[in-house]
Amino acid sequence: MAAAMNIASVGKSFPGVKALSDVSVELNAGEIVAIVGENGAGKSTLLKILSGDYTLDEGSVHLGSVDLSGATPLEAREAGFRLVRQEPEIVPFTSALENIFIGELPRRAGGRVDFTAMRRAAEDMLDRYGFRGLIDLDQQGRTLSPAQMQLVEILRALKPGAKVVAFDEPTSSLTLRETERLFDLIRQLRDDGLAVVYVSHRLHEVMEISDRVFILKDGEPTGNLPIGETDQDEIVRLMVGRNLDSHGMQREPITGGEVVLQVENLSSRWHDDISFEIRAGEIVGFAGLVGAGRTELAKVIFGEYARTGGTIRIAGEAKDIRSPSDGIAANIGLAPEDRKGEGLILVRSVIENACMAVFHKLSRWGFLRQNEMLDTVRPLVRSLDIKTPTLDTEVGKLSGGNQQKVVLARWLAAKPRLLILDEPTRAVDVGAKAEIYRLMDELARSGLAIMMISSEMPELLAMSDRVIVMHDGRISDPIPKSEATEERIVNLALGTAA
Amino acid sequence: MTAMDQQSARPASPFKRIGTYVGAENLSLMIALVILIALIASQTEFFFSARNVLNIGQNMAVVGVIAVGMTLVIVSAGLDISVGSIAGCASVVCALLVVHTGSVGLGLAGGIAIGMVLGLVNAAIITILRVNPVVATLATYSAFRGVAFLIAPGGRPVGVLDPNLRFLGAGRLLQSDGFPGIPVAFLILVAVAVVAHIVMRTTVFGRSLYSMGGNPAAARLAGIALNRMKFQIYATSGALAGLAGVIVTARTSSGQPASGTQGLELEAITAVFLGGALMSGGKGTILGTMLAVTLIAVLSNGMNLLGIATFYQLVAKGLLLVIAVAIGQWRLARSERQQARAAARGGK
Repeated sequence: MAAAMNIASVGKSFPGVKALSDVSVELNAGEIVAIVGENGAGKSTLLKILSGDYTLDEGSVHLGSVDLSGATPLEAREAGFRLVRQEPEIVPFTSALENIFIGELPRRAGGRVDFTAMRRAAEDMLDRYGFRGLIDLDQQGRTLSPAQMQLVEILRALKPGAKVVAFDEPTSSLTLRETERLFDLIRQLRDDGLAVVYVSHRLHEVMEISDRVFILKDGEPTGNLPIGETDQDEIVRLMVGRNLDSHGMQREPITGGEVVLQVENLSSRWHDDISFEIRAGEIVGFAGLVGAGRTELAKVIFGEYARTGGTIRIAGEAKDIRSPSDGIAANIGLAPEDRKGEGLILVRSVIENACMAVFHKLSRWGFLRQNEMLDTVRPLVRSLDIKTPTLDTEVGKLSGGNQQKVVLARWLAAKPRLLILDEPTRAVDVGAKAEIYRLMDELARSGLAIMMISSEMPELLAMSDRVIVMHDGRISDPIPKSEATEERIVNLALGTAA
Repeated sequence: MTAMDQQSARPASPFKRIGTYVGAENLSLMIALVILIALIASQTEFFFSARNVLNIGQNMAVVGVIAVGMTLVIVSAGLDISVGSIAGCASVVCALLVVHTGSVGLGLAGGIAIGMVLGLVNAAIITILRVNPVVATLATYSAFRGVAFLIAPGGRPVGVLDPNLRFLGAGRLLQSDGFPGIPVAFLILVAVAVVAHIVMRTTVFGRSLYSMGGNPAAARLAGIALNRMKFQIYATSGALAGLAGVIVTARTSSGQPASGTQGLELEAITAVFLGGALMSGGKGTILGTMLAVTLIAVLSNGMNLLGIATFYQLVAKGLLLVIAVAIGQWRLARSERQQARAAARGGK
């Protein structure tokens, strides 16, 4: 078979993280290759390098004889690499037809758009791939169903010149029947001699559709196997197998504290009938895939998103939490996942950021008392070892680890009983990570209940006293630390558990 | 030991302390002001006369009071284009109240109150109807000016001859033979600015203002009620515009629906940006705004003294707004580069 695309020793780093290292794989014409891996394994990074969204640091990418190593998105597209994105960008107030040809509208002499040619080309594609009747080309973008949006995105990719087509989680918004139809299309593309890349969390789909599976773990390839020579168990093992030594962190399990958070039959737009509890001194880890509803659960508990049913009790007392300020009043703290977007005011000082949630407690008659602020923040800066030139330094000028500690300081200043940490070590370097783990352990020891959402398996296994796995807005039974294994968590998260 | 401990162990010199309090941006404004004054004074001797200096103080009062309110609005990442129109309404309301009741106190209170009410209307449009602040106050910029003409009988200025009222707008304190006296209107501005400075720096309201302007999502997650804040902010901006309208009435002895309050929004917005505030919010100080108001007042006084035609002055005002915002954007880009470097350095 001819190698349509040749990816050789590709590496890519982001500040503090090695996202991909030494990734080599060949994509052959007439073959479907599945790329699998956990959250953060590097699948998206690899796709974005191929599509030209990111530029690689090392290695090379060739499509046929064209060198795409430093290609722009347009160059990659013209060479024949087409990415079907998970969440397609649809322009709401133009027709499906124009959405398909956006950026590449066929033109007549004189620069006017050739609508006739455009419609003919679209109808040809619909006929050829058996999609006629699934979409009205004159429909406005905003009225399309998720499956129709996906179809628009697919047709964008299949315009003439496609040689390699990559699907990123294409079935997440499709029904079973639509999925079958998509698979027929993918097989037809293969039989037409295209190279197809299929990225998915859903292993049973991978087993069904692909000819070969390429497995990534922590940015490194761990397997490249013909599908006939492997099974789901082996793939999971290759996805997760690693040494579980998480920076030497081992927590003594703590039990017997009073129940701090009790969630009963909670439901919301994302969740259905969720019940669990967290005790004082306990760290409960929340595992799951991106999009399983973990961040949303944290925000529902905190009052940022609406709760449609169920009760939340703090220390036995039912709390009607309808806004973040209610959440704070109920002694809950939330350090959000998106530190820069939702956590910090980057243009303001360390002291302001640290005091923000407790301004009213540090004031008399509306006037903030400078000394109270200093008395609150100084011990925290010391105990968290926040490295900052002065307390008046803008938070944006600190490193990632220190920024995260400022977020922690804000919530510790509020003296919460429940602290929710959403991806507490995202984008902090290894040294700062170990420090944040140490702090979490100390905080739990001092009697805080901690709800930790994490996509990092070693972190979950090392830090959690119990692990709860979320899948599609529902939660698993809590897994005690002694029984928590990577395989078990991944299977629950993928929804493949027996 | 953290870096902070080391820093605090060594007392900073008084000069450095003042420098930190004033801020680098304000220092560069002061330097610009000194250079401007030197330039103008070298061209005309009259500039430094007591009468002229005090005139500048008189002239900056109206726009200065409005710029104080505008600072709150812009720091919160909003904008209020309707302030000039609000001042027009307040000017008419104040004159009518004084004419009909004879009470200056009632006129003053009424002018401020109508300003506050109109500010609350702005806030309601922005929060309840979720209209972008620029569009909302552009709409009320037109609507409130219309209201000002409607409440003035016949759409004409309302004459009001009351010596006590006139004292607020054109009165002078410590007047003597050789000294023209300190304008009362200027003292009102100073009082307003001092109170606003303290509020911005030391109150929960003031600090929450910076938080919500810098990052509304983070502010909401820290328990700050954004909509309630917006009502307070636009009501304050409106009330101060109302006070400015009262000063106009007092100075001209008439309630003016339009004259004397047109174009104030442009000058106030220019002053706030020139004073170091950012388009994106979260930055800006009363001190900076006041320095910028002074700079603009000196500039237009200088242009008058040098006989530069009004049309050129309009062009100059527009240019100044562009320059003010461009400087802010340049500073922002520079500090983002610094942040990126800090992030790339990693943990240490």
